[in-house]
Amino acid sequence: MERDLATPVTSLRRAGRQGFFPYLFLAPAVALLLALTVYPLLYIVRISLYRLTPAGETFVGGENFLRLVRDPFFFQSLGQTFLLMAGALTLEFFFGLALALLLDSEIRARGLWRALLLLPMILPPVVVGVIWRLIYNPNFGVLNGALQLLGVDTTRLTWLADPSVALAALVVVDVWEWTPFVFLILLAGLQAIPEEPYEAARIDGSSAWQTFRHITLPLLAPAILVALLLRTMDLLRLFDQVFILTQGGPGFATETISLYIYKTAFRFFDFGYAAAMSLVLLVATLIVSRFYLGFLQKKERPT
Amino acid sequence: MKRRQITGRNFVLPLCLFAAAVLVFFGCRGERGEAEPTLLVAVNAGVEADSLKQAVADYQRQFGVRVQVVEYPYQSLFEKIIIALSGPNTNYDLVMLDDPWFPRFAQMGGLLELTSLYQAKNLSGPDADFIEPCLALGRYPYRQGRLYALPYVGNTQLFFYRRDLFEKYHLPPPRTWDEVLATGRRIGSREKMYGYVMRAAQGNPIVADFMPLLWAFGGRLLDDEGRPVVNRPEAVAALEFMLRLAEIVPPGYVNFNADEVGAHLSQGTAVMGINWPAWIPTFEDPARSKMVGKIGYTTVPSQKQPGASAIGNWLLAIPRGSRNGARAFDFLLWVTSQEQMRLSALRGNPPTRKSIFEDQELIARFPAYPVQYQALLGSRPRPRSPVWNEIENTFGTYLSQAHAGIYSPREALERANRDLEQLLQRWNATSPPQ
Repeated sequence: MERDLATPVTSLRRAGRQGFFPYLFLAPAVALLLALTVYPLLYIVRISLYRLTPAGETFVGGENFLRLVRDPFFFQSLGQTFLLMAGALTLEFFFGLALALLLDSEIRARGLWRALLLLPMILPPVVVGVIWRLIYNPNFGVLNGALQLLGVDTTRLTWLADPSVALAALVVVDVWEWTPFVFLILLAGLQAIPEEPYEAARIDGSSAWQTFRHITLPLLAPAILVALLLRTMDLLRLFDQVFILTQGGPGFATETISLYIYKTAFRFFDFGYAAAMSLVLLVATLIVSRFYLGFLQKKERPT
Repeated sequence: MKRRQITGRNFVLPLCLFAAAVLVFFGCRGERGEAEPTLLVAVNAGVEADSLKQAVADYQRQFGVRVQVVEYPYQSLFEKIIIALSGPNTNYDLVMLDDPWFPRFAQMGGLLELTSLYQAKNLSGPDADFIEPCLALGRYPYRQGRLYALPYVGNTQLFFYRRDLFEKYHLPPPRTWDEVLATGRRIGSREKMYGYVMRAAQGNPIVADFMPLLWAFGGRLLDDEGRPVVNRPEAVAALEFMLRLAEIVPPGYVNFNADEVGAHLSQGTAVMGINWPAWIPTFEDPARSKMVGKIGYTTVPSQKQPGASAIGNWLLAIPRGSRNGARAFDFLLWVTSQEQMRLSALRGNPPTRKSIFEDQELIARFPAYPVQYQALLGSRPRPRSPVWNEIENTFGTYLSQAHAGIYSPREALERANRDLEQLLQRWNATSPPQ
């Protein structure tokens, strides 16, 4: 560059270019975000105020939300979703943590175990649903078959067909499929913990439990929170397994909120009411995520 | 400095290339679109689609018109069609629809009225060979209204029973539901098998299996004014009877669909059950059935009223937004013609024309045809309401809850009736009846 770069014209051009190009590079991402996230969100807010069917739309104000407050099925499906989430989250956390601790230590064929553990997560959820539908089949499923070999009378064990058991059966499927995910994140978290605090603890004569309680757990907390947050958001919109395994039945016993929203929107084509329910679910998800993120920030601040 | 300049220049070339690619892509698409139009048909994946695909190949050979068949699974087909019918334009020129969906599509004005298309061809309307209960499904309002669809596949429920076992115990085929329960108990306990099998999965399956019972006991879902009447004593009696029937049904039946019913019948683990005629080839196929030649079929049993099975036809209709309406109508007439429907019947689809049910050659091949024809003539449609999907879901949820023991039959039906009233009020408030 031999030219004098300090002349006003060049610097202006330069400034213009500098101002223009970064935005140009950002534009596709911003456009995508606007088109795929912001616009649909605003659109959902709009249609939640309408009675919107393929035949046309009528402005109804807050009627969809009033209907929602009076809809026992909405609250039942929301309650069942949270119940399912609480059960699955607890079990996935404990199993995931136990497996991560086990496979973080020096055991034989560690690589093989790790690979095997990831298998359920790699399967498409639809396949998982179909597999478990066959496992749970009361007449020729492998679960009742195995129980019969053990001498159990299985005539009344109908799993997905029993309203008091079906939800728990869905929890088992989710735990089977997603514990590996929690395990993977926690294992990565464990391996990121430096060796020094453990050495210090050993020198100070801390017991295994004390080491776990005061070193491993606090240092693993960010990973735990990330894993639980991701699973929480997934579980709140659990759909595919329920759709394949029970369709929300028997009765209404396993209807999750996302299945109810789906039916309202795509079977009954009542988009306005479905939008209103989606918004409530969004707010619920935001509240739960805030709770997690609050924890995460509190954990990160002192260090 | 230098770096930035280069970055800027480097950016121009890919941008030009990308723009060129976009132009070429859309240019090609435009050119192809202007060529000979291809008719696009949305159909249900299964035997209906297989048969139609063979017909389409013949059509192209005969008339040089390309027809493309797009298959969807049952549930997504409904979604695809309703979205296609919602806008002013659609790519589909013909859609296959399950008859309970039809009132919704007709009510929203998404289908082409067929009478004027017939008139344009100097025809007064569909010929008299179509079976009346089938043709009535394509009119809105039901039976008397305008014609929007033609029936292509003439399904209706049949009652299946183990003929060999009924003969062994010197029993006639059951004619009433009381006989079903009594013979089911007797044969079931002697033969160590389930006396009856039904599908009671929430939604469509349980409602489809309950309707014949409800009608036989003298009940109805909606009255003539379209008000729900499922809390009447007849309906309660029908549901109470269904629960008694459940005592001789395989465990887990509250999650059963047609597949499980078919499996129990073909594997010889259940004595009787209601299913669609499409299952007959499976029952008679030694590779898939242990009961070849042992299963008999008859019409649905009676009780207080003569037995009636639910009709379940596949209809063909032209979306209003189709750009090739006239060509689609030509194809529709051709594919539902006597000659083509005969071929469709040979490919496994129950017909909707009298002449084909009475064709001796076909009866020799499909011995169930006389029974199927009789069942079709005595069949009843599920209520013709634009909100049938919601009605079915609500009603099915409560029926399922009664089976799961959450509510007593009376309580379940009271709740169902109340919810159905609310649902219909909401619908009527926003969509004035036509």
